Amino acid sequence: MDGGVVLESLWSKRAVLVSGKGGVGKTTLAAALAVAAARAGQPVLLVELSPDENGPSTLAALVGARDEGPRVTVARPGLSFVRLSALEGHRRFLEETLPLRWLADAALRARALRRFLDAGPGLREMGLLYQMLTLLRLTRPGGGPTHPLAILDLPATGHALGLASLPRSVLSVMPGGPIGRAMAEGLAFLQDPARTGVLLASLPEPLPVSEALALSQDLRRLGLPLAAAVLNRMPEDPFTPASRAAAERLLAAHGPHQGQRALGRLARAQASWERFAVGLDAPHLCLPELSATGPELVEQLAGRLVTAPPSRRAREATP
Amino acid sequence: MSLGPLVRNKRVLVLCGAGGVGKTTTAAALGVAAARAGRQVLVLTIDPARRLAEAMGMKDHGPEPTAVPPERLGARGAGRLDVWMLEPGIVFERMVRRLAPSEKAARAVLEHRLYRFLSELITGMQEYAAAEALDGFLASERYELIVLDTPPSRHALDFLEAPGRLSRFLDDRIVSLFGPVEGTRGGRLWMGAQALVARVLGPVFGEGFTRELRDFVGAFGSLFAGIRLHTERLRARLSSPDTAFLLVTSPEAAALREAVFFREALAARELPFAGYILNRSWARDEPLPAPEALRPHAQDSAAVQALEALTRLAADEHARATAHRALLARLAEQSPKGAVTVASPDADAGLEDFEGLVRLGDALVPP
Repeated sequence: MDGGVVLESLWSKRAVLVSGKGGVGKTTLAAALAVAAARAGQPVLLVELSPDENGPSTLAALVGARDEGPRVTVARPGLSFVRLSALEGHRRFLEETLPLRWLADAALRARALRRFLDAGPGLREMGLLYQMLTLLRLTRPGGGPTHPLAILDLPATGHALGLASLPRSVLSVMPGGPIGRAMAEGLAFLQDPARTGVLLASLPEPLPVSEALALSQDLRRLGLPLAAAVLNRMPEDPFTPASRAAAERLLAAHGPHQGQRALGRLARAQASWERFAVGLDAPHLCLPELSATGPELVEQLAGRLVTAPPSRRAREATP
Repeated sequence: MSLGPLVRNKRVLVLCGAGGVGKTTTAAALGVAAARAGRQVLVLTIDPARRLAEAMGMKDHGPEPTAVPPERLGARGAGRLDVWMLEPGIVFERMVRRLAPSEKAARAVLEHRLYRFLSELITGMQEYAAAEALDGFLASERYELIVLDTPPSRHALDFLEAPGRLSRFLDDRIVSLFGPVEGTRGGRLWMGAQALVARVLGPVFGEGFTRELRDFVGAFGSLFAGIRLHTERLRARLSSPDTAFLLVTSPEAAALREAVFFREALAARELPFAGYILNRSWARDEPLPAPEALRPHAQDSAAVQALEALTRLAADEHARATAHRALLARLAEQSPKGAVTVASPDADAGLEDFEGLVRLGDALVPP
């Protein structure tokens, strides 16, 4: 499967959750995916789920979107952006649950309740998840969803798994009631491979690959469907098999020279790629290491995603 | 200025930084170096991925810290190294038992159905558990140095804030929201808020659950005084000169942004920032001959091609190393006087085993 095919399968979902350890370029990748979707004519909502709602939004800056918090803004044709807010989710939830609308507003004005919702275990995540569900439920006047595809940049692993395991934990204590029902809806959504797909990002280095493989196990345990994986920042290989062997012979015979560290890095990256390919039960893509940064990198990666080569294993299997 | 004095004299080293910068490995290596220099050290990690277990070659994480076998450590004098993968469940249970006024009060919390819910929703609670565990180990005086590895940066902020967050949640004013209305202290406004919240909680959480929650928060109420005391004590310890916060970063822009963000957060909280450790960089100088020196030995076309490829890699390597050295100099420049700025050697796959940790420790803190 090359990049184009993998992307097509992602565009068929309602929500793509971009997950991975911190530092693997997850946010840039989420932005690049959204740009690629918009270019392919697939309308997309790019969603930020940051643990810190007050800090500046990196994701908004990467796609040139205005960050208006919980309000959806249009960054470019076909690409909208929103930053989920727990408070907004709580408000929506209370409005839909309480018999009187003013009661929800009054309740949220009560500092004590706001503090409870802010500090209570899991309540913040519940608010975020609920706002997400509300956005996905929105329909256009002519029918059909307002946001057919959402791409979510999930925070670093611990929190992503926390968010994903939340509905289950909540359901175990509150099987009934409005929260229970909302969480059951959320869980059904997150676990449905037709609607949800996790995109797992990693780097071609030993530890990040170990972590990505462990994370894929955790996802499976939580019943979250892994749709695809991306190995980011693969160093360019300037060798042919023959010249690589010759380089290794020369260095072995005449001691270390400049370029040797880069060669070691390349060798580790390739070995890691192999482990990633063998260990994951999902199609995956490999993106090159590029010198661009910020929005420029996002635009370049969006193009590379479409042409990204298939996995080594798949390539070898093809005659 | 080197890491030596910190590792030899401090009681607590807190390592912070973005995910994926090798923070856990660095924490372990500093712990190894301190223990080899003769100190009694605990490395405490709260990383959910439990990476330290891999680095330390440990399979299990039990209720107590595990000692690294002395023969592997090769420590001088009384040097000893324990490692513990934080188990929030165990930490909480101990905390409840220690703080509850009676065994009966402790059981009321621990045996409550919602207690499981609390520890299952680990998000945010893990950080509190780390703070609590650190406080417990410091109080026990079993160790001369505790090296604490925190989860990725924004979480690490949670670590600084978790104690406050939990006590806010368990604030007795919030608890009184759940309590019977007639027992309330405070003015009419508060009574009004309470009545309003009571009207909201029932329909939202369901009546049965609201009752249960009231019950549970009420049982927790007996622990407040203790939790507040711990929070204040820990806060005092973390701000004292016995503690040093080290920011670990890689040369990646995202990691650097986190490091800057974190330094500001430390400054705002008046916590002692002690320096930067730059990981995954080629900032350390390694003077080597250029690939061109191999030219006389390149006998065939494959070897000539190999030289061309190596030359390209060498140019890339040089550009990277130069950028990394400039970055290290910038970090040093921006740091306050007395702060440390150290580049660790380029990590290779060998760092995942214990010998790698010993080597890294020696490189960071020359013996």
